[in-house]
Amino acid sequence: MDVQVEKARGRLESVQSRPAVAEKLSDPGWAWAPYEPDVDRPWNLAKAGHLYRRAAFGAGWDQLKQALSDGPQRTVDGLLSPQADTEAFNRTCDEYEVSVGSINDLRAWWLRRMIQTPHPLLEKMTLFWHSHFATNGSEVKNARLMQQHIRLLRGGALKSFAGLLEDISRDPAMLIWLGADANRKARPSDNFARPLMETFTMGSGHCTEKDIQEASRAFTGWFVLRGKLIYIPREHDGSVKYILGREGNFTSDDVLRIVLEQRATSQMLVHKLYRWLICETEKPDEITIAPLVESFAKDYDLLKLVETMLRSNLFFSSAAYRRRIKCPVEFALGIVKGLEAMVSTTQLAEDLAGLGQNLYYPPTVKGWTGGRYWIDSVSMIGRYNLASALLRGSGPYGDKLNPWAIAQEHGCSEAESAARFLVDLFLQNDLDPNVYETLMKAARTTAGTDSGGLEKGMRCFAHSAVTLPEFHLA
Amino acid sequence: MSYTRRDFLKTTLGASALLSFTSAAPRFLVRAATAASRRDDRGTILVVVQLSGGNDGLNTVVPYGDDQYARNRPTLALPPEELYKIDSLLGFHPRMAGFMRLYENGHLSIVQGVGSPNSDRSHDGAMRIWHTADPEQPGRQTGWLGRAADSIWQASRTEAPAVFVGPITQPFGLNAENAIVPSIRSIQDLTADQLPGHENGQSLWKHAAELPRSDHVNPLLPFVQRCTLNACATARRIEAVAKTAPGNAEYPHFQLAGTLRTVAQLIRADVGIRIFFTELGGGGIGGFDNHANQLGNHCSLLHHLSESLAAFIDDLEREKLLDRVLVMTFSEFGRTILENGRRGTGHGAAAPVFLAGGRLKGGLVGPHPSLTDLDNGAPKFHTDFRRVYATVLDQWLGFDSRIVLGRQFEQLDILNV
Repeated sequence: MDVQVEKARGRLESVQSRPAVAEKLSDPGWAWAPYEPDVDRPWNLAKAGHLYRRAAFGAGWDQLKQALSDGPQRTVDGLLSPQADTEAFNRTCDEYEVSVGSINDLRAWWLRRMIQTPHPLLEKMTLFWHSHFATNGSEVKNARLMQQHIRLLRGGALKSFAGLLEDISRDPAMLIWLGADANRKARPSDNFARPLMETFTMGSGHCTEKDIQEASRAFTGWFVLRGKLIYIPREHDGSVKYILGREGNFTSDDVLRIVLEQRATSQMLVHKLYRWLICETEKPDEITIAPLVESFAKDYDLLKLVETMLRSNLFFSSAAYRRRIKCPVEFALGIVKGLEAMVSTTQLAEDLAGLGQNLYYPPTVKGWTGGRYWIDSVSMIGRYNLASALLRGSGPYGDKLNPWAIAQEHGCSEAESAARFLVDLFLQNDLDPNVYETLMKAARTTAGTDSGGLEKGMRCFAHSAVTLPEFHLA
Repeated sequence: MSYTRRDFLKTTLGASALLSFTSAAPRFLVRAATAASRRDDRGTILVVVQLSGGNDGLNTVVPYGDDQYARNRPTLALPPEELYKIDSLLGFHPRMAGFMRLYENGHLSIVQGVGSPNSDRSHDGAMRIWHTADPEQPGRQTGWLGRAADSIWQASRTEAPAVFVGPITQPFGLNAENAIVPSIRSIQDLTADQLPGHENGQSLWKHAAELPRSDHVNPLLPFVQRCTLNACATARRIEAVAKTAPGNAEYPHFQLAGTLRTVAQLIRADVGIRIFFTELGGGGIGGFDNHANQLGNHCSLLHHLSESLAAFIDDLEREKLLDRVLVMTFSEFGRTILENGRRGTGHGAAAPVFLAGGRLKGGLVGPHPSLTDLDNGAPKFHTDFRRVYATVLDQWLGFDSRIVLGRQFEQLDILNV
């Protein structure tokens, strides 16, 4: 193993074991300044793994090694705008998806895309928007519309929130799901206006019932007929409306403009992205996130906001490290990406549904709450068993994932070094010494001597590594 | 063998030992143990059985003593001499010997004339109402049991509050805004699946989660450690129960019986699950949805229901667990009294809800709905289904029904609690 990796791995240099003296967490200037490694806060394997867990779905060994030599900012560059032709990749995937007949199959195609994409951050953000603009396929009952819906989210995932919101307000799948597919003048319905104001933009408590009812009238005239959005002018209520202190003959576009003018909208989204990318255990204090809220309110530029967060001192600080619980997708793909292979995503989609994350079918319009809700004793057994299925070498996932083969590819030739490699790969060796020793002791007893025994032994060892409490944290 | 929750924690975490040697034990384990011994919940369990398709209540609890019954059902009326007579008016369907036995033992109550306002009598629409428990907002996105699960969730808890057991897609009634309600098909889904050659895998899993960590700041790490330990204990207990079970209980070879047998094993394992949801009829529109030649099919479904449930109750009684369990059946609607031209019936309104368990007052609850005062050809309901839900939530589970149902409903006097 490289000297550089050897140097960067050690538990001594891990983020959490070093007192956070150098972190000025409550200073917004420091918090959002790009992270530059120094003696107190060195760039190491743990931080590279952290970045790949948040901005991607985990990483293979080559990516981690590359990140170590590139440093944090260049690695973030690559995650924000990869050199590979993402558009061509996504075009090909879209072509496959168009011919897919069922929503359940679309789940498998999306997981495949998450694993193979040259731009994992884009898929990570698409998943974020899938939980933000949560649309459940069981009500839409139309694979084509659901495919268009997720494609719409992907298209806007890292562009402008204003554009994304506009697209969503005209998305047939969203409108059908919310029961907002027939907005008659005589019977305005708040089925879209309410989640728009209370869930998608400002958050609850920032508008009155009256604001919602008035906004509902502005959405009259829009219908979804046979899966197509149409506007029927005579069904639009053109009279004066009073929304959030404004007065005018507002249309649906005006309502979007008005909610985007509210600081609460920017604030809500910055909070939500903070929880997704940085930390879910504590809310950021208002002073810390104020600069981001101000800036985002001006242009709603998602790429800029995400970039600021990912490059920041705060992102690479102890306040963010392992401060999220992995959603089931992150848990499973962390194993798959680490072992550099493709597995049956049809099976995986089913298994993830069993763990509470049924892609294309978020439970309510509020998406997955996640956090501690992901885990309890039963879902923990489910995760343990999913790891077993993925690593077994036979059964529904076949023998695609092979920890021993991967360890050999990266220069390991015996059990001890392979085990150390796997701990680096999955946990960046950031374990307390007692936990690490316990694991290594088990490796010595499980691994046989012949190569068949080693393969089996490393499957078991990898299983123990990915079922450690630390592996469930992102 | 019967365990209380306290026994469970004692054996798995050694609660008493931890409490007496607090300084030596990791702090988070002590906290878990104290919380458990202080715990005042009743550990009562609700098992819901969904009868999909609209069960014909009039041919389940048969009003044979009313002339209107036979008059309206030229081919479907069941001969009085074959019924299990409850009284001079009512009798159970001839294939429901099990229910009759439960009824006689006081282990079964029949809440009569239950239904919902605003039911549009479509399967999807009516089922949605029973699931959301919100007839005023049919588009509501959470189910009543999902909301119940959310209402008892605490950041420190590590147990799953509810599970769905069965081979179909999880019914909407369990849809929660926050909580994850797992679906399981068999008991193997809740035991730890060991890789070949990894015999010590499970003990390593537990041991590695028990070891103290140097990070005392991140609250997620101890939480995941606790979840892992609880998962280890849960899996172990379920394995133990799964090993001892065969031979102990006689269940018929019906799918529902198999499902209820799994539920009984999970109850015996005492792993903290308060709500089990099961289903008969294949999910969606099927099963009880007989519009033509209803007699034979309905007959076998009722037989499955009656014998499966009776076996379940017998099993729990033998295990001395029956006092902790309440079963509730429901269907999206009853049927019209008049049969159609194809020896079937139309979608109706009122139907009986069955409750089974060890703490019931038993007998009939409320009058049988009139067979002449009809609503579009079907007996009218007199008891709002949410009154049953409210009673179960408040009096049985000890939850707050107003949080789940949005308002107070008048409760039924059906439980000995």
